Amino acid sequence: MKTCGVDIGSLETKMVLLDDKNIMDYRVGRSTFDFKRVGSNMFNELLEKHNLRKSEIYVMSTGYGRNTVSFADDRITEITAHARGVQYFYPEAHSVIDIGGQDSKAIVISEKTRNVIDFQMNDKCAAGTGRFIEVMAGALEVPIQQIGELALNSNNPASISSTCTVFAESEVISLFARGTKKEDIAAGIHKSIARRVAGMAKRIGVAPLLVFCGGVAKNIAVKKFLELELGFEIVTPVINGKSSAQLTGAIGAALIAQEQRSG
Amino acid sequence: MDNLELLSDYSSFLREKKEEGKKIIGFISHDNIPEELFDAAGFIPLRLLFAGNDEFMDASHDYLPPSTCAFAQSCIGLFSLKPNQYEFLDLIDYFIVSNHCVSDICASEIISKRFDIPRLNFYIPYTNNENSIKYFKLELLELKKQLEEINGKEIKDENLKESIKKYNSFKRKLLDFSFLNISGSEKLKILQKAILYGPFFLPELESFFEQRSDNEIQTSFNSKEVLLTGGSIFINDPLIDLVEEGGGNITFFDSWIGNNYYSQIIANDILDSIKNPYDILVHRFKNNNFGDHSVPNFLENKILQLEKIYQDHLKKTGRKLGIINHIIKFCDHISLLSSHLKNRLQEKGIQVLNLERDYSRAIRGQLSTRIEAFLEMI
Ligand code: SF4
Repeated sequence: MKTCGVDIGSLETKMVLLDDKNIMDYRVGRSTFDFKRVGSNMFNELLEKHNLRKSEIYVMSTGYGRNTVSFADDRITEITAHARGVQYFYPEAHSVIDIGGQDSKAIVISEKTRNVIDFQMNDKCAAGTGRFIEVMAGALEVPIQQIGELALNSNNPASISSTCTVFAESEVISLFARGTKKEDIAAGIHKSIARRVAGMAKRIGVAPLLVFCGGVAKNIAVKKFLELELGFEIVTPVINGKSSAQLTGAIGAALIAQEQRSG
Repeated sequence: MDNLELLSDYSSFLREKKEEGKKIIGFISHDNIPEELFDAAGFIPLRLLFAGNDEFMDASHDYLPPSTCAFAQSCIGLFSLKPNQYEFLDLIDYFIVSNHCVSDICASEIISKRFDIPRLNFYIPYTNNENSIKYFKLELLELKKQLEEINGKEIKDENLKESIKKYNSFKRKLLDFSFLNISGSEKLKILQKAILYGPFFLPELESFFEQRSDNEIQTSFNSKEVLLTGGSIFINDPLIDLVEEGGGNITFFDSWIGNNYYSQIIANDILDSIKNPYDILVHRFKNNNFGDHSVPNFLENKILQLEKIYQDHLKKTGRKLGIINHIIKFCDHISLLSSHLKNRLQEKGIQVLNLERDYSRAIRGQLSTRIEAFLEMI
């Protein structure tokens, strides 16, 4: 049985095609402002490449734009999807932290039922999300892909006390003006986001084995500072040696579709 | 009837009452305000039970910082945004300044002062002991005096008793109504309208019952059942739609628009045995288990009540209820209790979503994700 999980995030769209429990193919692309078009183009590409018809695939949408997927047969929230998706990689996972472009979530999975038993999401503020790092990388004039590495070179992380993105940006600029090293500021930025997300996660009792996923999980410094804040090691999903932290929502949606179809 | 129609009908209703010479008393929709006393004095009570939106919240920032409870912000915004979107607010003659919480005191004082509405004070004790009970009675008598001065005539005890009886039977009917097997949104609309109009709504409520028994409609819902506790869902709040779109149905409203209002029924033997009508109101205050901070050990009571409702429902229907604790942003006394409430209920196997929000449109997507994810969890 073939199913497709479509995860429309605020920044990126992820799609995973499953044949039973095996990943046949996947795609990741910018969501842009036209979610609908991006999603259907990606889906058509998959159909064409694998010579499939829509009627042969059961599609489950998830993510921020889950209601905009016209070719979806059903939808599920990203909370449920991530909790299921991380178990594809780590069947014994206890908790999940997902940091995406515009939100962050912490999820606890029941040991018995393997379903979600509790979750927390950040509020509408950008602190504790990928957007926070993006704005700070801009202020430091460092490419977003390099800011994590830069932060790891620091021996003395600067203290960034503002949680608000706008205030933190001016704090970063004034630290820079005062001659604080870029790597120390970068480390301070990562520490700040980790403190905020770890605080939210601790409120619902996250514990090992904790899977860190979402686009920000590719940033090694956020992972390291999260481990320091939480006091234990965390893991991120990998496929063929490549980070697949962004795919857990789509994989989870596709797996839930499999389970629903097989009753 | 949609909300626009409700509000325009309500405007006409108030206008008619004004033409009949009645005066209108506005107050923030909280516990323990003795609307019976207004009724006995010939006033029309107007509870502010309208939800906010971005415009209302923004408009309030000339008077309050944005870190004030979103409901209080919205109440001020209702008055400060000109022309008034709810034009009947211009008809208010007096405003009650009361102290259910700090936001209530600030918002009601600002409304009275900045929008030139003469104030009447009614302060409620924060506890429930012998002295505070005496104080509550003194406040009732003081309010009576203020109303009599405005009217230039005495409020007769028998009139107050009649009003108490009238509100009491109205609440009894609402309690019966609350058990009807209808969708949460339909139920909420009627509750909101009923609490807005008070006993004037009784004939409509009765005809609603008649129609239902005529047609014998028994709807069965496939949705997940939800108990709403914490902040009320006020008029024009899309929250209930988000719950229903996500596959849920609120079957029990444990909030001010809901159980806290219609559960405050005075038993007939009390009505007969206590002669002084002010003592009847005192008796109700003393026995009000829902008055938040005026109830000793409120949190423990609340947990026990919620657990009881949950267990009764489970026994009766075999189905579990999910609890949504609705926290209006910066409402300290609901939000401070929320983690404890959630932890304690979860220890008992009851699932709870602490749903904190303000009234901005921007969080609608986030709200629906949290609600849907919770419903998926149940
Ligand atoms: S919502 Fe909370 S803080 Fe706001 S007025 Fe009501 S009780 Fe007070």
